[in-house]
Parts: sequence; C-alpha cells; structure tokens
Amino acid sequence: MSESKSIPAPSQSEDSSPILTLSGVSIGFPGEPHLLTGIDFEAHAGEVIGLVGVSGIGKTTLLRTLAGLLPHTAGEVEIFGFDDIRSAPRGSIGYIPQRLGLVHHQTVGYNVLMGALPKATRLQTLLSLPSSEMREATRSAIVAVDLEEKMLDPISQLSGGQQRRVAVARSLVQKPRLLLADECLGELDMATSEVVAKQLLHLAREHGTCVILVDHSPVRLKVLCDRVVELRQGTIREDEPDTMRLPMV
Amino acid sequence: MAGLAILAVLTAEHLQIGGPSLSRGWENLLIILSEAFPPDFSVLTNRASWANPACNFETDFMCSPAVIGLIQTLEIAFLATLFGALISLPLATMAAHNLSPLWLSTMTRNLLAGLRVLPSLIWALLFVIVVGIGPLAGVLAMTLYTIGYLGKLQYEALEGVGKHPLEAARAMGLSRPVIARYFAIPEASNSLISQILFMFEYNVRHGSVVGLVGAGGIGWYMQYYIAPFKLYDRVLALLIVLYFTVVVIDFISLRIRRRFIESEEIRKPRWRDVFLPQR
Repeated sequence: MSESKSIPAPSQSEDSSPILTLSGVSIGFPGEPHLLTGIDFEAHAGEVIGLVGVSGIGKTTLLRTLAGLLPHTAGEVEIFGFDDIRSAPRGSIGYIPQRLGLVHHQTVGYNVLMGALPKATRLQTLLSLPSSEMREATRSAIVAVDLEEKMLDPISQLSGGQQRRVAVARSLVQKPRLLLADECLGELDMATSEVVAKQLLHLAREHGTCVILVDHSPVRLKVLCDRVVELRQGTIREDEPDTMRLPMV
Repeated sequence: MAGLAILAVLTAEHLQIGGPSLSRGWENLLIILSEAFPPDFSVLTNRASWANPACNFETDFMCSPAVIGLIQTLEIAFLATLFGALISLPLATMAAHNLSPLWLSTMTRNLLAGLRVLPSLIWALLFVIVVGIGPLAGVLAMTLYTIGYLGKLQYEALEGVGKHPLEAARAMGLSRPVIARYFAIPEASNSLISQILFMFEYNVRHGSVVGLVGAGGIGWYMQYYIAPFKLYDRVLALLIVLYFTVVVIDFISLRIRRRFIESEEIRKPRWRDVFLPQR
C-alpha cells in the first residue's frame, strides 16, 4: 500500500473547480425520515476520498444517490456542471457495488469489456462488435489486475478477491470521471488489496478520476486517500473522523 | 361434510350427469377398451401412402403413420418453440419490472396474459379456420401459446436477477435495452435456457393434442383413426409410441437442463427422475 501511495497526486491548481458539489442535500427513502441531511461536500478531479461511518448510517445510500440510482430529497447537486446526476454524460460515472455487479455466467473478459459499453457506437452495441481499441483496453486492464490467466473463466469460478479485481478492471476500461467504490477493498488479503488499491490510485492519478471509496478500515483509508470524510449523526463531517480513533479490527 | 355431499349431488343432477349417463359411459368405455386391446402396431410397419404419398423412403417403417406423425409433431414443437422463444424474449424484457418502466411492463404483461387465456387447442382451432388443416395451423397455434407461457416464465427469471449488475450498468448511463441485453439476459441465461427446453418438452406433448383438431402431427392420425373408422387399437398403438417418445425427450431434456440449473449438488439424472418426483 505504501508503494501505491508513492504515485503523486495531481496538482489541483490545474483545475480547481469541483466536479461534484452537494449543497444542503438530504437523502432518504419516500415515507421515511431522512437518512442524511444538510450534506455539503465537494470533490475534485483526481482526488481519492475515503468515506467511513458505522454500519447502517447511509454510506451505500449516499453512493447510490451519487450514482443516480436514488433521487435526493432536498438540496442541490451539481456534477460535471450539470444540476441533475442523470444528465451526466454516458460513462462518466462508475459504480462498484458492494456485491460488485458482475455478470456471473459470463467470463472475466466479457465483464471487463462491459466497461467499454458506454463508449461503443450504436452499431457496435447492436452487433456486439467491440473495436480493436476496446479489446486492447480490456486486455490491458485484465493484465493490470493480474488476471490474464483467468480471462476466459466464468466469474462464478473465481474467488471473492479475484472478482473484486474484475470489477476494478471494468472501471479501468470505463475510465469514469467519478468512481464510486463500495467496500471494494473489504475482505481482501494484503497482496490483493494492494493490487486493487494501486489500480484505483492509477485511475485517479493518470486519468483524473475522482474516486470515492467506502471502507470500514480507517487506517487503510488514511494511507490510501487524499482525505477521509465521515458520516456521523445523519450528516457528513470532514474533520478528523471519530472512527479514525477506533482500533483497527 | 354432509352439506358438501348434498351440494355435490344437487350439482350433478343440475348438470344431468347422473346414473343413466354414467352407465352408458361405462358401457362405451368397455367397448373402446375391448376394441383397443391388443394395440395394433401395424401403425409402425404399414406404409401410410393414403396420408403422405410423397414419402419415398424404402422402408415402410419410415413412411408409417406413427413415424410420419411423430416427426411432424416434433417439427411443429421445434418450430413453435424456436419462434416462440425468439419473440417472447424481447417481450419478457419489456414485461420485467426491473428493466422497463411501469407503463410498458403493465402493457406487455397484459398482452402475454391475453395469449395465455386461450389454450393451445383453441388457438389451433382458430388457425385451422384461418389457414386450413395442416401443420402450419399447429405451428402458429403453438407459437402463440409459447409466447404467452414462455414470456411469463422469462420475465419472472429476469426479475430474479440480482440488482447489483443492473445498478452498475445504470450508473454507467446505459439504456434499458442495452442493460437487458448485456447484463440481465446473460445473468439469467441458465434459467432462460432451461425454460426453453422445458417449453419444447411441453410443446411435444401438446403438439399431439392440437393435431386432433386438424393442426397436423400425430394427433391428426389419431383423429383420423377415431372419427371415421373407430380403430381404437391403432389409436392405442399411437399413444404408446407417443408415450415412449415423450419419456425419451423428457430424459434428454432433463440431462441438458441439469447442466444449466444452478444447484449446489448437481447430480447425473437417472431414468427414474422422469417418472418420480425429484428429491
């Protein structure tokens, strides 16, 4: 992980305007009290932001809202200059759910190639004919996560750690401007965790992707991220998170 | 209990299905059984040139009513399953709540339910009137019924797909048809293939029924022997041939489906699985 940290962060002076701004945003489900209220938050290109908080506080709900899967109930969201998340350009948001969102009956290659779908033309999508660049990007991403020998294996035959690497490889092909990763480092051994973390940092540093990473290990986030924010008492806190002071389990 | 018994007696009387009808039916059954046994297996050895003069196989067996009828039944079932599956899959993606807006899924579900309202036999009757006696009516009738029935099974399988792959795809900004094609259908593929095989099996069985109203297949030969000639021994022979064919198809289908059914304990199917409930 320390090796990963050595990748330098891009200078934010190049473009200091945030790609994502939340102003007084409230999040919750219809007919229920708000889960999170008064969220003020900014994220910049190339930033790696850790998101911590106790279980059930609303981390996944916040991520799903930022992915455009749930509407916010109050406040304003501005993303890439648009005031509606669903207006964001196709492929500009990447989301790795807790359960990774892979197609289990298909191969590693197929799943990683799915990251190229937003860039595919209508004809390519209709005929299932990826361009040579898409195939090359897929191969490179699979090599980057050390899964080249598993390229033709179905997802259902991979271990949990290998599946997480596939989900990250899909994001490497997609190269989103905002990547929302929900606990994609959880339950991984040290070596796999390092491979995944290195690739997430690579996306941020080389492609300017803003990565928002949910994790239960404050120590890991502190090492990996440019800053860590915490969901506490129904809102977001950017000061030293409480959970940072908890012993690492 | 006594009330139920009285109600049953009153209902039977109202329907006029009392003693005289039953005793007459019993006599008829005995006549049919006495004429049906022993089954006349000449339906497997005699050339049916009266039904299909174009049959130019040298062996009589290949041109017999049983074999011609069976092949036609299998062909009707195959085409109906193929066309039905090709049409039902896009309809199923439109009917699935997790892949389509509410208005579209409601509309498509109603269409599929409408196709299921009429059994394949009634569809066959309608198509015999529209396109005439023969296998075309059978294929059209079975295709429509397959769309309605398979479409329902398929949209239920698609709705069973976990939300995570679909959410990852939605976050990418992909359209609903693209999500259905590249995420939902591949994720549900095992169930979908298994359902298509089940539908083929079902169509073989029902292909013989639609033949009774003139829509081709082995049922047409049964109807031919029953209606003008009352050759029940030949009908029984055809039924026995059909029974063994269905059992063999059930077994092959079971073996193939086992490969696609997700189960912790996948074991090789045995013949008795065709006849007995599986544990």
